[in-house]
Amino acid sequence: MSTREEKAEAGVVVPEFGTRGKAWIGVLVLAIVVGLGAWAYQLSQGLAVTGMDNVFSWGLYIMLFVLFIGLSAGGLIISSAPKFFHSDRYATLAPLGVLLSLACIAVAGLLLLPDLGRPSRITGFLTSPDFRSPLVWDFGIVVLYGLFSAGYLWLLTRRDLAKLGSRLAFGTEDTEDGREKDRKLAFWAAAIAIPLAIALHSVTGWIFATQIGRGDWFNPLVAPMFIMKALVSGLALLLVTAILIDRFTQYRLPKELVPELGKVLGVFVAVHVVYLVAAERLPHAWAAEFEFWAITSAFLVGDTFHFWLWTVVGGAIPIVLLAVPSLRQKLWAVFTASVLAIVGILFEGVYLIFTGYQDLNIADAPGVASGTDYAGIGSDVWVTAGNYTPTLIELLVTIGIVAIGALIVTLGLRFLPLQPGGGEPVSVGSTERATANPDATTATDGGHDVPDEKTPHK
Amino acid sequence: MVNYGMVIDQERCIGCHACAVACKDENNVSMGNAWNRILTVGGDAMDTPAGKFPEDGGDGTLSMDYQPTACQHCQNAPCVKVCPVNATYKRDDGIVEIDYDKCIGCRYCMSACPYNARVFNYDEPETVPPDGTGNVEQREQGVVEKCTFCSHRLDEGLDPACTIACPSSARIFGDLDDPESTVSRYVNQYDTDRLLEELDTDPNTHYVNGEMTPGRNHLGDEMESELEDPPRRREEITYEAPGGGDAEEESGGDD
Repeated sequence: MSTREEKAEAGVVVPEFGTRGKAWIGVLVLAIVVGLGAWAYQLSQGLAVTGMDNVFSWGLYIMLFVLFIGLSAGGLIISSAPKFFHSDRYATLAPLGVLLSLACIAVAGLLLLPDLGRPSRITGFLTSPDFRSPLVWDFGIVVLYGLFSAGYLWLLTRRDLAKLGSRLAFGTEDTEDGREKDRKLAFWAAAIAIPLAIALHSVTGWIFATQIGRGDWFNPLVAPMFIMKALVSGLALLLVTAILIDRFTQYRLPKELVPELGKVLGVFVAVHVVYLVAAERLPHAWAAEFEFWAITSAFLVGDTFHFWLWTVVGGAIPIVLLAVPSLRQKLWAVFTASVLAIVGILFEGVYLIFTGYQDLNIADAPGVASGTDYAGIGSDVWVTAGNYTPTLIELLVTIGIVAIGALIVTLGLRFLPLQPGGGEPVSVGSTERATANPDATTATDGGHDVPDEKTPHK
Repeated sequence: MVNYGMVIDQERCIGCHACAVACKDENNVSMGNAWNRILTVGGDAMDTPAGKFPEDGGDGTLSMDYQPTACQHCQNAPCVKVCPVNATYKRDDGIVEIDYDKCIGCRYCMSACPYNARVFNYDEPETVPPDGTGNVEQREQGVVEKCTFCSHRLDEGLDPACTIACPSSARIFGDLDDPESTVSRYVNQYDTDRLLEELDTDPNTHYVNGEMTPGRNHLGDEMESELEDPPRRREEITYEAPGGGDAEEESGGDD
């Protein structure tokens, strides 16, 4: 076994669990156990213990599935895209980003299980798939993306694992040639990762966008919206996580990356919430209204609480925090904006599901038999509009699954060398400066002034 | 080829819900779920008319119409296309059916169906009496189910339960590919429309509005295709009551 120092040297940011770390693990394990218990209860009682019914037939599990698919984009943005352009400016964040992607895609995949009425038959996806179903493609691509993320994470960390003498290196040796070879491989991995991620988010969008029967779901903009919200939420989650583990572990996040990535996040949020929402709503508002101001207000004013949570809390506020240069320099502002952006994307998913289910195409009385309201002769089992509130069971199951994701990240921090360069002073884009045109990097003063302190923002 | 379809004459429908009850009974549908629903068109609640009474400024447009709604057996069925495991499929005879042993309970088909024709067993199925009713095995918790056009009855040469139960002969079942069948003739002859036709699901259920049809063309439980003679107008049919003795059947048409 290597010592604490050796691990830190190789880039493990949590060389061993302290009291706080152990307590955190304890909380996560407890949440997972409670979640499993809640799922067992749900299996025994049926989905009747959820808030879903025959009209509102997808609920919290699918809303959060959509969210976590989006969140899994973070690793790609930060590791693949720059690698593809042969930049290692964000190399400090790459392994962490891919670890987050892996955890999020695992959470997304697991969230589908409790949504199934007969989860034991999930093998049907392999034994009798219908390739017309977007769900088959999504299932395949989630599995593929998960495996790819795991492999990519290993590729990014295996030389440092070898340096550490970890068994997870699986025989890889830490040689300079090997590292060079891995850099080339990482480029090709990035080339695969980008189309794979675009496919993942688009296909998830098409699960909804292909459905003629559910109001606004049938909308060609849904897939581009999914790509954009993946960029927003993925980057926001990466920023939140990086800032938190910079604070609580030996991980060192280069200080100047925060406003820089904050700016990128601001652009993503603006494209998503301002541009794409306008592109989606304006034609409808224009066609439905006659007077100029009627068109304007139909287009600007949303109809539901979820819409406001998405566009104001998750849109306008983060844009202000990230657009004002003096605010963007402040760590708290970027952190807050990122958290709010994730909240906004969560409620966009909620909003999407609600737009599909709240109004029935044929809503004449008595309506649709809910399937959940029968409690003896004389019960009113009919519903004419979709209504949904998640139950405690759904919340507990969901929290348990999210805790699995958090546990994956925590164990990654503990056992994987996530800090490239290990104990060396952290810098931004070192090779980039050495090889590229100096003019290209001076604009951001990348990495010159990083002192050898552990947590620059404290 | 056989292509089963149904014509529902909304001019004949009296809103008695007998078809809905017969369906629930025949198919052993759990309490709290319904495959066949009789909607009141336009009113605020069931059995309340649309429009206004000609009083207090009302324009006298009062009207009450019923729309029996179950699976429309679409030929471009979105539910079939979304099912990831081929549990929902379209049979060669046009019927959309579910293999309950394959269904994983993902409920994607329920999102896909624009008619909300599908129901899910959120709970263990519950029936009165507890052992179940009718002639179909109970479905288990966690699978989706819906109208099958009573395919188990068709196998026996019998019309669907709702069709038999209708006291005003508003439901006509038969083969849309046979130009001589009553359903084909009615679709050609009368004003018919299909629900949410603009969605291009191509349903095999047609609704008659406007001029009333003579209704189901024969008596007895058997399907039209089982009849030895070609179907005749109801006026010409005499009915032998099971208890013996002849009973002259009244004309089916109201006109």
